[in-house]
Amino acid sequence: MSDTLLTAHDLRREYHMGDELVRAVRGVSLQVERGDYVAIVGPSGCGKSTLLNLIGGIDHPTAGSVTIDGARIDQMGDGEATRFRLRHIGFVFQRFYLMPALTAIENVELPMAEAKVPREQRGRRARELLAYVGLGERHDHRPAQLSGGEQQRVAIARALANKPQLLVADEPTGELDAKTGAEMIELVAQVNRDGTTIVVVTHDEDLAHAARRVVHMRDGVIVDDRRQDAP
Amino acid sequence: MLAALLLAALAQSIDSTPARHPPRSVAIDERLATDARIALGDRLDVTTTPGGVGDTVIVTAMVRRRADPSEVARSEYRVIMHLDELQSLVGYGDRVDRFAVATRGRAATDSAIRHINDVAFGFHAFRSRDIAVETSRTFLVVSRFHRAIGVITIVASAIFLLCIMLLKVDERRRDVAALRLMGISARSIVRSVMVEAALVAVVGSGVGVALGWFAAQLINWHYRGVYRTPLAFALVTPGIVVLAVALSLVLGLAAGLLASQRLVRMPALELLTGRREARHVTAVVR
Amino acid sequence: MLGVAVSAAMLLDMVMLSTGMRVSLRTLLLSRGFQLRLAPKGTLPFDTDATIPDASNVIRVLRTIPEVSTISPVLGGQLHVTVGTRTITATALGVEPSVQGDYEITQGRPSARPNELVASDDFLRATGAKIGDTLSAASGYDPQLRSFTGRRTFLVVGRARFLYMPAEHRAVALPIATLQQMRGAELRDRASLFMIRAREGADVDTVLQHIQAALPAVTAVSIETAMRQVDERMSYFRQLAFILGAVSLAVGFLLVTTLVTVSVNERLGEIVVMRAIGVARSRVVLQIVIEGVAIMFVGAIAGLGLGLVTARYLNSILAAFPGLPAAIDFFVFEPRDAWGALGLLTVAGILAGIYPSWRGASLPIAITLREEAVG
Repeated sequence: MSDTLLTAHDLRREYHMGDELVRAVRGVSLQVERGDYVAIVGPSGCGKSTLLNLIGGIDHPTAGSVTIDGARIDQMGDGEATRFRLRHIGFVFQRFYLMPALTAIENVELPMAEAKVPREQRGRRARELLAYVGLGERHDHRPAQLSGGEQQRVAIARALANKPQLLVADEPTGELDAKTGAEMIELVAQVNRDGTTIVVVTHDEDLAHAARRVVHMRDGVIVDDRRQDAP
Repeated sequence: MLAALLLAALAQSIDSTPARHPPRSVAIDERLATDARIALGDRLDVTTTPGGVGDTVIVTAMVRRRADPSEVARSEYRVIMHLDELQSLVGYGDRVDRFAVATRGRAATDSAIRHINDVAFGFHAFRSRDIAVETSRTFLVVSRFHRAIGVITIVASAIFLLCIMLLKVDERRRDVAALRLMGISARSIVRSVMVEAALVAVVGSGVGVALGWFAAQLINWHYRGVYRTPLAFALVTPGIVVLAVALSLVLGLAAGLLASQRLVRMPALELLTGRREARHVTAVVR
Repeated sequence: MLGVAVSAAMLLDMVMLSTGMRVSLRTLLLSRGFQLRLAPKGTLPFDTDATIPDASNVIRVLRTIPEVSTISPVLGGQLHVTVGTRTITATALGVEPSVQGDYEITQGRPSARPNELVASDDFLRATGAKIGDTLSAASGYDPQLRSFTGRRTFLVVGRARFLYMPAEHRAVALPIATLQQMRGAELRDRASLFMIRAREGADVDTVLQHIQAALPAVTAVSIETAMRQVDERMSYFRQLAFILGAVSLAVGFLLVTTLVTVSVNERLGEIVVMRAIGVARSRVVLQIVIEGVAIMFVGAIAGLGLGLVTARYLNSILAAFPGLPAAIDFFVFEPRDAWGALGLLTVAGILAGIYPSWRGASLPIAITLREEAVG
């Protein structure tokens, strides 16, 4: 198995906003090794979220390629890309996006149910994941009964449900206060230490500081890419 | 009634039966003429029993039946003969089913009815208007039924309209929230929603009236063909148009008012973010 | 939900109306087991005052047809009963009491002798008579002599419910021979109608054909023919039922479409996240469609009760049709009507949910997430 998990080559993403043509990503190339922890930072509108969406397979590039574990996700159709995401990529969003009608454990089980994991097995794993993220006692609570930080923990547990190789997170601490954000940063770092490759987009300097590698973007291009020592 | 009796047996043109007297003249209705392909001048055999001995008559006229609603569903044929000739044919003797009497004014009608009923035996005099009321009972029933269906339809439409209005206004809650945060008063917002609701109601009722008019034409065309009658089955009158527009205006305004009131009662921030705790925080701060 | 319930109620009512009269008429016509009727040529039973001559010969000919089991002749007329200074006029049915199919005794017994009659509640109320009383009745008038004709004295032996008459109607039934005699030469050996029961297992259409061949001077009418004729005259109600039913279904469909659309719009974020985490589009669509069907289903159950109430009310209006037999209903509830309406509503619910859910589940994930974040 190669050490490189993710390869993005000369990625471009353009779209129309009214009459204007927006070039959100202009020829970005990036390689991420297995087990790495990459933070993509930059000012608002620099294209970092768009890059994350392209890497995560939820958007199609205008040009360029994205390869994850040898698979060209930019060439996949909708169904194939969906199945790929289910098993290989975990998502964490700024706004959590938990299903309000489901309990915490049911939210975590959702991707496993889609992947046809047997009921008993997915229940066991969901409980383990919730305990892992520190919510062992709250598994039967609905999102409305959880705080923002707790909801984000559930979202992380959900993202890890099918043991993805890659976890992508878009501003995971964006809606959290400083204290809760710090707990989240530690949790994400722990997930990485336990073997999951992570690519995170953030404004949060503390979160960026916790990563092993920081990629700076400006105006749709990478302007800096450096390794840093983990804290 | 007697005419109906006759109809059971006629519509053959033959010349061979020798007439006992000059052929009688009859008038037949258009429907019979069309269906049996009878033309003016044709000779017909008429009997009171199927296959029995009867009389030969000549068709000398065709009549168009009046648009009588009480007969519309009955597909019977009519033959009109001279009274004495029909009495003779059916062996009725000197009898009739009814008399129609014209009088010189209302007072004369009252007095005539009184006099006739005083001496009547085996018959009774009625005002034509009273007969009309009695024979109109069928249509009264149909009218009541239509009215009931109409009321149910209006209630159902009102509920439907209210549901749609609530949903559609609710969809724009973020716009409403932004306006409120800018400083636009709740009253202004409610007023603008109601103006919009009124416009939609008026335009909608205009479209509805046009649709109703076309539907009425279609209904009349269809049933006139089915029942072969010039009767009008559906009529869009000015009164109905006024009622429809007024009703939809009232319902539209009511729905708009309810929907907008529901929105402006919620705090603007809650409308924008969809989060309940904003209200709670606001209350605590206050 | 209320809107869906009202649509469902209307749809159920229209399904009931479209078949109700047919069902109740068929039930009525078959209530005494007579599958065929003979009427004067070119007419329907009791459609006119015409009568069939040579009634005894007709019966004789019918008896030669082996598949014919029972023959019930009926003669219609009027009876005038003098009570004090008043004259009460009633519809008179001359029947063979042993085989008749026109009334059901509710009290007393059928008439067994020539001078006995049974009467409706309304007649007894109007005349003030009761079972055991005698009445003087006449069958006609002679205006020249200013007197009643065909006078007889009758003994009231029974109270009856007349199946083919309106609810409040003055009616009497007496032996047909008595009525024929009372009317003299005019109605000697005549009948207005014959009701015929075929032997068990006999094919009714074959019997009909035999009768038509043997008696070409009368019109033989099977239940189906009678139903067809009534269908033609009552086609207006079936067509109205169809149109209003279709409109109700369309309204329900539009309502559910709107509800599902709004629901999808409210949950766009959730929907695209499900797609982002790997849930297949078809699964997402199925979930939303099921919600739409559930709304329709719950509304339909609520609408069932409402529909039955409004049907009863509408039926009471139409039951006032002059001359309508009391046993006829326009709105008849049959369980299959409810299933039929529910089936239609379920299909409408599925179709109503498909488009908005497919649209929602097919939105581009990244763009929608961005718009949701901005919103």
